[in-house]
Amino acid sequence: MLEAKNLSKRYGDFVAVDDLNLQVNPGDIYCLLGANGAGKTTTINLFMNFIQPTSGQIKINSLDVTSQAQATKKHLAYIPENLNLYSNLTGLENLQFFAGLGGNLPDKVTGTQLLEAVGLQSDAINKRVAKYSKGMRQKVGIAIAKAKQADNLLLDEPTSGLDPQASNDFAQLLKEMRENNVAILMATHDLFRAKETGTHIGIMKEGVLIHSLKSDEIKLNELEQLYLETMKTENHVAIDH
Amino acid sequence: MLRLIIKKEIQSALRDTRIQFAGTFLILLMLVSVLVGRQGQKQIQKERAEAQATMYDKWVNQGAKHPHSAAHYGQFAFKPKPVLSFLDLGLDNYTGVSVFLEAHKQNEVLYSAAQEGNGMTRFGELTAALVLQVLLPLLIIFLTFNIFSREREEGTLKLIHGQGISMRKLLMGKVWGTYALVLLIFIPVICLAYFLLDQASAGFDPHVGVKFMGLLASYSLYLLIFVLLSVIISAFSKSSSFSLLSLLGLWIAACIILPKATTNLADKVYPTPSQYEFRKTIAEKVENGIDGHNPSDARLADLKKQVLDEYNVSKTEDLPVNWRGIAMQAGEEYTDQVYDHEFSKVENIFKKQNRVSEWAGFINPYLAIRNLSMAFSGTDFHHHVAFVKAAENYRRAFVKKMNKDMEVNDKPGTEDYRVDKEMWESIESFSYEAPDIGKIISVQWRSVTALVFWLVALFTLASIYAPKISRL
Repeated sequence: MLEAKNLSKRYGDFVAVDDLNLQVNPGDIYCLLGANGAGKTTTINLFMNFIQPTSGQIKINSLDVTSQAQATKKHLAYIPENLNLYSNLTGLENLQFFAGLGGNLPDKVTGTQLLEAVGLQSDAINKRVAKYSKGMRQKVGIAIAKAKQADNLLLDEPTSGLDPQASNDFAQLLKEMRENNVAILMATHDLFRAKETGTHIGIMKEGVLIHSLKSDEIKLNELEQLYLETMKTENHVAIDH
Repeated sequence: MLRLIIKKEIQSALRDTRIQFAGTFLILLMLVSVLVGRQGQKQIQKERAEAQATMYDKWVNQGAKHPHSAAHYGQFAFKPKPVLSFLDLGLDNYTGVSVFLEAHKQNEVLYSAAQEGNGMTRFGELTAALVLQVLLPLLIIFLTFNIFSREREEGTLKLIHGQGISMRKLLMGKVWGTYALVLLIFIPVICLAYFLLDQASAGFDPHVGVKFMGLLASYSLYLLIFVLLSVIISAFSKSSSFSLLSLLGLWIAACIILPKATTNLADKVYPTPSQYEFRKTIAEKVENGIDGHNPSDARLADLKKQVLDEYNVSKTEDLPVNWRGIAMQAGEEYTDQVYDHEFSKVENIFKKQNRVSEWAGFINPYLAIRNLSMAFSGTDFHHHVAFVKAAENYRRAFVKKMNKDMEVNDKPGTEDYRVDKEMWESIESFSYEAPDIGKIISVQWRSVTALVFWLVALFTLASIYAPKISRL
């Protein structure tokens, strides 16, 4: 479970995240929508402990991210926006390296099965990542996350730059993970994918979570309308369902 | 976990064609320098051994003559070419090859390669030491300048951190991974050098095996220091270009600017007298006495009185021994005393100059390895002084023997006294044994401590500051 309580991050006078309250339960996919600079990536970075919060609390499976940073990592998998793996290692070698660092080093057979399970073509598994497309690299990223068997997953705009087919494959993989009770927090620009994949949707603007709603309570066109209106209007208090 | 990072660093580097090329080039360069160096060392040693044998043969076959004439006929001492000089030439090209040993005076060691060779000798020859001390650190810079910053720039550092690995472990993994790569380059050269050593005339320097191990240990420490320093700088640099510039700046300072500055500083603080001044002082002190108030004629008169009193005679012609033999030996001993007095002063100045360089090893590890490498290779200043002293002791012994023979056997009234081959053969050919490892370490303890200091300091620094490495 992922939790943020009264979470704020300031850089001088600039407020990147303002009093954020958020909870992602096991089996939830929480999609954070917002324009560039809305605070989505900062929120992910705070959960990852890449940066320290100015105030508030972040918890992963009830463990405090700031004071128990290393312990929280055991329960957390992460896929960044641009998953740049080691280009002169193969997909399998990258998987073995990162998963091994996470404490679950798969042997060649298990590693190959994991990569095949996320849809990576068999003939690409032992090719160097330098020749991979972004979609293929994202699949390796998913395999790394799955190999870790973590019960929380953080995704920072994982589908940006993916073609529709790859984006769809990616969404299917997330649904599979959701079925395995993984709590997923995903920052994205993709309204369609958020509506289609997410169980919950949040809209952020200027560091504030303006709306937080369940995805089955809103249609895609209504979500689009709400998003556009939010971007136009001044910030106001968040609606929490 | 550490093993995984080390394996990945090695895998990544070995698949990089630029590193493959640079690594192979350095290995070839070192192998060639070791092979050529060993060949050259063998050739030079053979020539010097032959020259020593020829000159001794001439001494033995000089024919019957007066012992004092033989003392002036003199002998030569050739400095053996140190076995490990094929790895590090050190000062060997500048310190001379042979010294003429004769009565009454201490000659200089002459015919250095720098004196005899062309100007290129002064630019230094390609040796394994040059590659290991100067060029291999450049490859380390090339291997490490973006070892962290590239991960940060490409985002893989976030992914690594996301796996729950501490920055300390990551840093250490990168250090040991890079060090393993450096050893891959270093080991073939060591193996070849050891193989060549095995075939070398170990009897010529019985301590050569231990010295080789000392050399190996020193370079292993130095290269680890350079790897640690480079990885730490890369870890705390905001970008690859900043890291590269910082490391190259450090390399230029450590390998080019600081050594020259240290030498100049030492020379400025502890100036050495010129050869002319040194000789002039000795001549003056022999003439006027060490304290300037004991002229040679007064010393001679005192000695004469003492000898005449001892034998209870009034003139030297009545002595049962040869007065000239006694006087010459006394003159020799006084000159030796003056020479020792002046030489120890100059030696102390050189020692102080070297000490500046040894202490500077705490600021610049390149100076520490340079000193240690020369010392273990037998090509440093201390080895040269050991040879000079051995040659001088040999000179004193054989001149004394000639004087003694003259004193005892060339009695007044003896006509045309001469000695022959039996006497010349009673003096063995000059031989010299280089200082052992214990002596080297007792002289070079500052450089050893400097390397250990650097290693401990960098490991401590890495351990304390690693958690502060930025992940973004």
